[in-house]
Amino acid sequence: MNCVELQQSLAEVEDGSTPEQSTHLKTCPACSELLEELNLIVAGASELQAGDEPSPRVWNSIEIALRQEGLIRPRPSAPQSTVPSFSARWGWARWLVPAAAMLLLLVGIYERRQQPVSVNDRPRQEAAVVAPVLNPSGLNDEDFIQEVAANAPAMQSQYKENLRRVNDSILDAQSAVNESPEDPEARRALMDAYQQKSMLFEMAMDQPMQ
Amino acid sequence: MRPETDYLTEPRQKPGTELSEAEAIERAKQGDADAFQVLYDKHKRRVYSLCLRMTANTAEAEDLAQEAFLQLFRKIATFRGESAFSTWLHRLSVNVVLMHLRKKSLPVVSLEEATQGSDEDSPKKDFGADDVALAGSIDRMQLQRAVNNLPPGYRTIFVLHDVEGYEHNEIAGLVGCSIGNSKSQLHKARMKLRDLLKMNRAEEAGKSRAG
Repeated sequence: MNCVELQQSLAEVEDGSTPEQSTHLKTCPACSELLEELNLIVAGASELQAGDEPSPRVWNSIEIALRQEGLIRPRPSAPQSTVPSFSARWGWARWLVPAAAMLLLLVGIYERRQQPVSVNDRPRQEAAVVAPVLNPSGLNDEDFIQEVAANAPAMQSQYKENLRRVNDSILDAQSAVNESPEDPEARRALMDAYQQKSMLFEMAMDQPMQ
Repeated sequence: MRPETDYLTEPRQKPGTELSEAEAIERAKQGDADAFQVLYDKHKRRVYSLCLRMTANTAEAEDLAQEAFLQLFRKIATFRGESAFSTWLHRLSVNVVLMHLRKKSLPVVSLEEATQGSDEDSPKKDFGADDVALAGSIDRMQLQRAVNNLPPGYRTIFVLHDVEGYEHNEIAGLVGCSIGNSKSQLHKARMKLRDLLKMNRAEEAGKSRAG
């Protein structure tokens, strides 16, 4: 066997183990080096397997397609949590919130009609009528966000953003009332802003958070 | 085919709650988004790397990996576990890439096979005459570049056999050639890679001497 024949034979028996190959390799340093280098290439090739990471774009596109095709389906129930859920903690009492809101609004309207109040105090009193409704248990914004974080981490940023917007609305409406205490539109805007906040709290309590 | 190594497993969930592959498959059948992602994370590197090696193009490789996973997930309800999930996925990925190469009219088996004994691929009598020896180990990046520079037909067989671990009879079935053809192509691919690596080393040696 010569060098050409050895090279051709390596396609069929790649480790050079046939008697003819072995005889030639013992006497030919160039062919021995060739075989050694081919083995290095084979050994290095296995390291190319799974060596690269696709960009996040790939999974994002897959997920969007799976959702569009209905292969990813919404979960049938809220995930289990060791922290009692907002709704579970309040049970039937959570229905007191809208009831209390309505009652306090009626009381507020009645009081406002019965008692003369100074113009400057009126918006504060109206806000004071609504504000307790939002916070019947002493739950403040921070508590609310923590509850959402514990029960539905995925929704936390959304609730946070909604809370920020509604608080901004309250501040805007409050400053408008301070500037024009007699303006019925400004007072109504303030009431609406507080009611929006109340609705936000109710949504968090009533709806399963996923 | 070469079995998948453990380091590929990248559980996304907290310790104690990670899904096994079988659980993830069952939950994916129910439409669980997390289960799909667990399966994707476990196999994404292998599938993407296969696509990248065979196309030598990042954008094409990402598109093909995406297509392979989508085809798999669309059929996941029919998976009964007769064969390993990874085997199923990787074979499907190979078919997606080969289909893509055929659509691009790129040869999945080198056309040079038809002209055996051509000057370029016939055994060289003077190998090693003015070459740099590939002593020691081969740098992964250098090998990757050299594989990218292989003619597509050689690249396909080399990647399937030496990188992915398919046997010649499997390759013959996948690409539609004879077993002998597969062996011959593989040998030529390795010889070509050796030349490319030596050229690369010679260039680097020249640069360092000039520097």
